[in-house]
Amino acid sequence: MAESPPQTAFAEEALTHLDTLYRGALRLTRDPDSAQDLVQEAYLRALRYQHSYQPGTNMKAWLFAIMRNLFWDRFKGSRKEDVSLDDVGEFVLYDKLRDEGAKPEADVLDKLAASEVVAAVEKLPPLHREVVLLVDVEGFSYRDAAQTLGVPIGTVMSRLHRARQQLQKSLYDYALESGIVRANGTKEVPNE
Amino acid sequence: MNCSDCKEKLDRYLDRELSNTEMLELQLHLEGCPPCTDNYEFQASLKRLVKVCCEQDKAPDALREKLRQILT
Repeated sequence: MAESPPQTAFAEEALTHLDTLYRGALRLTRDPDSAQDLVQEAYLRALRYQHSYQPGTNMKAWLFAIMRNLFWDRFKGSRKEDVSLDDVGEFVLYDKLRDEGAKPEADVLDKLAASEVVAAVEKLPPLHREVVLLVDVEGFSYRDAAQTLGVPIGTVMSRLHRARQQLQKSLYDYALESGIVRANGTKEVPNE
Repeated sequence: MNCSDCKEKLDRYLDRELSNTEMLELQLHLEGCPPCTDNYEFQASLKRLVKVCCEQDKAPDALREKLRQILT
């Protein structure tokens, strides 16, 4: 039986956000198969509850909220275990590189492998990871991110700040290990 | 605005989350402060890098087709 035009239109619009949902699910689960299952379940739930979606509002945020809520339902116990980033302290990669004489500092970024950047994001605790995904990767405003995550804007800002510090620390550690920068030195490994 | 204020507001400037007045104040500070400009450009590059690296993954075609069949 053919579906009604409104449902087809809803499905078509929902599918335009598939890449965003899949990327989010992949970063949260860190497993392609689990990500596909999670996304499929999220779309089925969205279809079931499409009456609660208000046309003209942010469908991407609405779908992402469904997906991340399902993720947290599945990993319920792990919410408590979400690692605090309180002990990261202030870590600013730019300051660190400048202090160590790696100039120009931005050149270091060009030498980081994409896979290492993704790995650094995936190493973040999930509550912090999802804020980076929404704001830095998907371009959500703080307000939309707060609504999607069901937290105050201040929480989005503090999680984002801590997440960025941790991310920079991870990238710095990688840059040290791979010889892109040298601790307490002024020399940087040149590009071939 | 001084360098300390600039540093404190840099995240929100990067994310376009300041008021128009604050955006302008920070922009004016950056125009006259090379060290803060360097820091801003570095943070902006890092934000872009995270976006570009994480955006490379696309949903598999098979998943898209499966969902299309289920949903429509």
